[in-house]
Amino acid sequence: MRDIQLPLNQTQKVRLQRALQQLESLYGNVHSGNSVTVADTIPVNYDDGVLRGHGTMDRDGQVVATLCGVVERVNKLVYVRTLRARYKPEVGDIIVGRVVEVAPKRWKLEINCNQDAQLMLSSMNLPDGIQRRRTAVDELNMRSIFVENDVVCAEVRNCPNEGGVQLQARSQKYGKLEKGQLLTVPPYLVKRQKQHFHHLEQDGVDLILGCNGFIWVGEHVEARDSMIVDQVNNAPGETSLETRQKICQIANAIRVLSTLGFNLNLEVILETVNLSTKLNLPINEMLGSEFHVLVAEREAERRSSKNTKRKG
Amino acid sequence: MESSLKRKPTQSSPEAESPPPHKKQQNETEAETNGSTSGHGPVACLHDVSYPEGYVPPPQSSAKNDSTPAKEFPFTLDPFQREAIQCLDNGESVMVSAHTSAGKTVVALYAIAMSLKNQQRVIYTAPIKALSNQKYREFKEEFSDVGLMTGDVTIDPNASCLVMTTEIWRSMQYKGSEVTREVAWIIFDEVHYMRDVERGVVWEESIVMAPKNSRFVFLSATVPNAKEFADWVAKVHQQPCHIVYTDYRPTPLQHYVFPSGGDGLYLVVDEKAKFREDSFQKSLNALVPKSESDKKKENGKWQKGLVMGKLGEESDIFKMVKMIVRRQYDPVILFCFSKRECEFLAMQMAKMDLNVDDEKTNIETIFWSAMDMLSDDDKKLPQASWFLLQYVNVFSYVGIRHGNPGFKYVTPFKAWNWSASLWVTAHSERSDRDLVSRSCIEYIISAQCLFATETFSIGLNMPAKTVVFTNVRKFDGDKFRWISSGEYIQMSGRAGRRGIDARGICILMMDEKLEPSTAKSMLKGSADSLNSAFHLTYNMLLNQIRCEDADPENLLRNSFFQFQADRAIPDLEKQAKALEEERNSLVIEEEENLKNYYDLIQQYKSLKKDVREIVLSPKYCLPFLQSGRLVCIECTESDEKSPSFSIDDKVTWGVIINFERVKNVSEDDASKKPKDANYTVDVLTRCLVSKDGVAKKKIKIVPLKEQGEPLVVSVPISQIHSLSSVRSFMEKDLLPLAVREKTLKEVSEFLSREPGGLPLDPEEDMKIQSSSYKKAVRRIEALEHLFKKYEIAKSPLIEQKLKVLHMKQELTAKIKSIRKAMRSSSSLAFKDELKARKRVLRRLGYVTSDDVVELKGKVACEISSADELTLTELMFNGVLKDIKVEEMVSLLSCFVWQEKLQDAAKPREELDLLFMQLQDTARRVAKLQLECKVQIDVEKFVSSFRPDIMEAVYAWARGSKFYEIMEITQVFEGSLIRAIRRLEEVLQQLIQAAKSIGETEMEAKFEEAVSKIKRDIVFAASLYL
Repeated sequence: MRDIQLPLNQTQKVRLQRALQQLESLYGNVHSGNSVTVADTIPVNYDDGVLRGHGTMDRDGQVVATLCGVVERVNKLVYVRTLRARYKPEVGDIIVGRVVEVAPKRWKLEINCNQDAQLMLSSMNLPDGIQRRRTAVDELNMRSIFVENDVVCAEVRNCPNEGGVQLQARSQKYGKLEKGQLLTVPPYLVKRQKQHFHHLEQDGVDLILGCNGFIWVGEHVEARDSMIVDQVNNAPGETSLETRQKICQIANAIRVLSTLGFNLNLEVILETVNLSTKLNLPINEMLGSEFHVLVAEREAERRSSKNTKRKG
Repeated sequence: MESSLKRKPTQSSPEAESPPPHKKQQNETEAETNGSTSGHGPVACLHDVSYPEGYVPPPQSSAKNDSTPAKEFPFTLDPFQREAIQCLDNGESVMVSAHTSAGKTVVALYAIAMSLKNQQRVIYTAPIKALSNQKYREFKEEFSDVGLMTGDVTIDPNASCLVMTTEIWRSMQYKGSEVTREVAWIIFDEVHYMRDVERGVVWEESIVMAPKNSRFVFLSATVPNAKEFADWVAKVHQQPCHIVYTDYRPTPLQHYVFPSGGDGLYLVVDEKAKFREDSFQKSLNALVPKSESDKKKENGKWQKGLVMGKLGEESDIFKMVKMIVRRQYDPVILFCFSKRECEFLAMQMAKMDLNVDDEKTNIETIFWSAMDMLSDDDKKLPQASWFLLQYVNVFSYVGIRHGNPGFKYVTPFKAWNWSASLWVTAHSERSDRDLVSRSCIEYIISAQCLFATETFSIGLNMPAKTVVFTNVRKFDGDKFRWISSGEYIQMSGRAGRRGIDARGICILMMDEKLEPSTAKSMLKGSADSLNSAFHLTYNMLLNQIRCEDADPENLLRNSFFQFQADRAIPDLEKQAKALEEERNSLVIEEEENLKNYYDLIQQYKSLKKDVREIVLSPKYCLPFLQSGRLVCIECTESDEKSPSFSIDDKVTWGVIINFERVKNVSEDDASKKPKDANYTVDVLTRCLVSKDGVAKKKIKIVPLKEQGEPLVVSVPISQIHSLSSVRSFMEKDLLPLAVREKTLKEVSEFLSREPGGLPLDPEEDMKIQSSSYKKAVRRIEALEHLFKKYEIAKSPLIEQKLKVLHMKQELTAKIKSIRKAMRSSSSLAFKDELKARKRVLRRLGYVTSDDVVELKGKVACEISSADELTLTELMFNGVLKDIKVEEMVSLLSCFVWQEKLQDAAKPREELDLLFMQLQDTARRVAKLQLECKVQIDVEKFVSSFRPDIMEAVYAWARGSKFYEIMEITQVFEGSLIRAIRRLEEVLQQLIQAAKSIGETEMEAKFEEAVSKIKRDIVFAASLYL
């Protein structure tokens, strides 16, 4: 219930509460003993030797948490994983960001991190796909690739200790995102997965779950084939009404899930979308309280059935 | 698949355009080679193109043709160079396959010049650091915008042309370095290194992952399947790939044989590549065979006769070098196949003075300038500088090269090593000194003779006039084998300096008789073909899983290994077809019926066998194997291929003499119960003895009534058919033939009375109660009943018919197995292994169940120079945390040391304790892998970590001098230097790993470790820098 702020009537409140309790009972005691706040002592077995990782420090011979979060242990390594913090980049993460500045040889991107990320001109594929060194002319033409406020998808290349996250666009599927919506959710809701790019074929929609909590829902673009330099293709075509509606529907589903604080992955999002389709709910009503409650109940049901299945 | 659209000998096309230059060129070569007695073969090359499937050539842009070439060369190009460069000008990938020193570098130079002109990046990768270093210097001279990246050094990484080792290039691709987006041309030098068992896979990874729009230049030694390789590249990268192949040698080779003990050279293959049988025979006759005692001693070792010589006589090698100098065949490279041999032979040369006076002064100056460079400590080397100077002086530079990455010249005496290293130091840092000019090393080498191991044959630009093979056999890990023709070609390629020598000379020192055909195939055989040595590593998997785009399966699908496997499919298909046809041609009437009968017989036989196995299991039959008992045994089949099909087996009778247990060497006798062991029974029976040429006597057991000698043979229990309840009286002495004859006669008399031989009843006499026995017996009875129903069995031709059917059945089985092979090769190679390895990663918590790389995986990703799993586990278990830096370095040395030392002393207790921890971890990792069905030999894996240099590295980390640590161990200097350098590489990777898990303390510790070992002579810049 914590901080879900919805105008609920009495029955809805009870139903939501029940659903959330059910969820809690499923997973409740997994982490309860492991969560720490700043300055909590982390119990460890000193005889075996301990490796202290992120978010811990040594104080008077005890391992003390320096962050709020959950204690994670890998063999003898102990570290604290934060729950609600800004996005902490890791090499290889797929992120979505917004260009805030065009600087010499680089773009600066807002990625929900404590610092802006840098996308070097040389880390971008040239629009014509030719492999060559970047020239001064390329630098002058940087605005033809991205300008301020463009939404860009990229991969974290490295994150040096001193800050300044370096991004890169490994292939043609990275780059500017157009014709769609950018949603921001708390980054902890997006778990790292094998796939962050999703193409929902029957809807003609691309879904990119950025690890930094920026989520892109937009019209599907065929991965631009670099071999064909075709200006005509780049001319903006109209996005059809259905696609727009679909985009909104998916976006709203994500909004609902994020309000409820559920982890976002393709399966859950699609299920929520299907639920709304089945109920024949107008897109704008998806953000109403009733749908929230329904989604919560549905999710509780799904997880508990999954749980029993696993146990059985 | 790929279509080859044109195949033409190049001569046709250049001739059409410009015949004169071609002619001229050939003439020039002639002139260059200083009027070599005979003209050489046509300077031809083959040009071929592989197109990817469905490739549409882009419209020809005419503008391209009139642009000026990116680089002009001061000499006329050879046809193959011209062809290759034309491909480059068209912007298409090319594979150049030619002999070493044929001038492949020209193509690389052109590619670099072209890229620089177009403001593109170009990458040059080489298999070994020494080669990278040399090329870096070469290119730097030619184009200034050149950088170098090896595990040791990084110079100007932002340059347009980057020289690096292939490993570095691979990791740059995994990390998505910006270079990957700017590189237009990638030059893979010595790409035939891809067949290297250990490192070859790096080439495949690099090629598969290379940026989509880049173009390639592959430079390779002559490989017969260059086309296959090009087809692969064309397929993987969807771009045409040209092949330019030439056999041409700028300086023709003459091959001589130097028979050991003889005193002359025999020309075996002349420069026209003609094999001279007569001369070879003469050389064989001149060969003085080693005395028997010598032979015994050198069993498995290197040839003693070669080095020792007869008392008071000069050794062969000495004679050889003297002769070479006398005939002015120097400079010479002498290839040996082991480091020890190399050192030993070089020591033989100590008495020889090859230098002219002014050279001596030069060397002296070099030496002293080198000495100036040294720290005072290192000057206090063993044997002191006097010794050094002496030897530097005396035989100038009989360098021996070991396969260490630093390319240090390691010399017979320890001091020699120093002189080399010193020289290197001087060379690298005081390049302004007059004498220590860049060409100095070439100068010195060119004046002298050089002992080298095989590694030297790769790519380094240091040709000599003569190449000597001190041996015709090499040890390849299991056994001594002849040098393969491919190896011979590679090494002999060092002979003959272009433009200086009329011809190169290869001398084969032969110390044993060689069949002319063997020699011929060695000297004139074709090059080794380029085969994939693909294998999976955890590091590779993790890196692949980590990338969003990459996928290990994709890598497998695109690997050269898979490509070659796919190629085999049509062949297999053909085989299967042929067999099927053969099978269909066998027509049998009443097949159905016969088949049933056949199956029945098979079933009956197998049941009988089961019963016999029970009855004759040692448990039951041992008490009855007394001497004198009559026994029914199977006759030896006359022909393996046509088993009999009658219900009755062909049996005979004999008398048991004795039985004994078979000692199995591999098994632990104590653990085996007598009941399970194998036994053989000595039986007196009639045998047919036939002598098979020189080979052993063949003994066939035949029925009693047939002709043959009565003999005692030992048969395995499984050959016994049944035991009789009758025992005959045995004569004590069976040696006289008559006694044996008599015994057998008694047996046949008895049998004529009792044809059944009164066998022991299994249930009553032998007390066999097992239920499986009873069941089998009942089934046999049922089957015997069934036989009677078959009319077909009564047909007179039943035997032949069954034989045909049997053949047909076998063909069917064969077809089945071929089809299976086809299926397995059409499905992904390594698929099962990939699955198993992923399972390991999941079990150890490196990746999650949905293939997301976890913390531990990220650490293992960084480690590519040591066993990633064991090291990561060690780290996460906190082993590295509590120990001192020196101990940690010492422990890590076990990861990089691979040589086996026979009598290495055990390290001290603290270190041994650590080593045991390492072994525990390794064993755990290996066992887990085994559980996950990765094929691995646990103990072998555990013992692959060697503690041999722990002490030495410990001392080194504590600041000991190099000469001090050399006294601790008996390992070769070069090997130790190599190991410590590799250790530094591992530490660098660990620093990265510690960084990624936020372990700042560990990071600092690793940094400290690096600073402790990275000093002095071990990390002195290598020769070419």
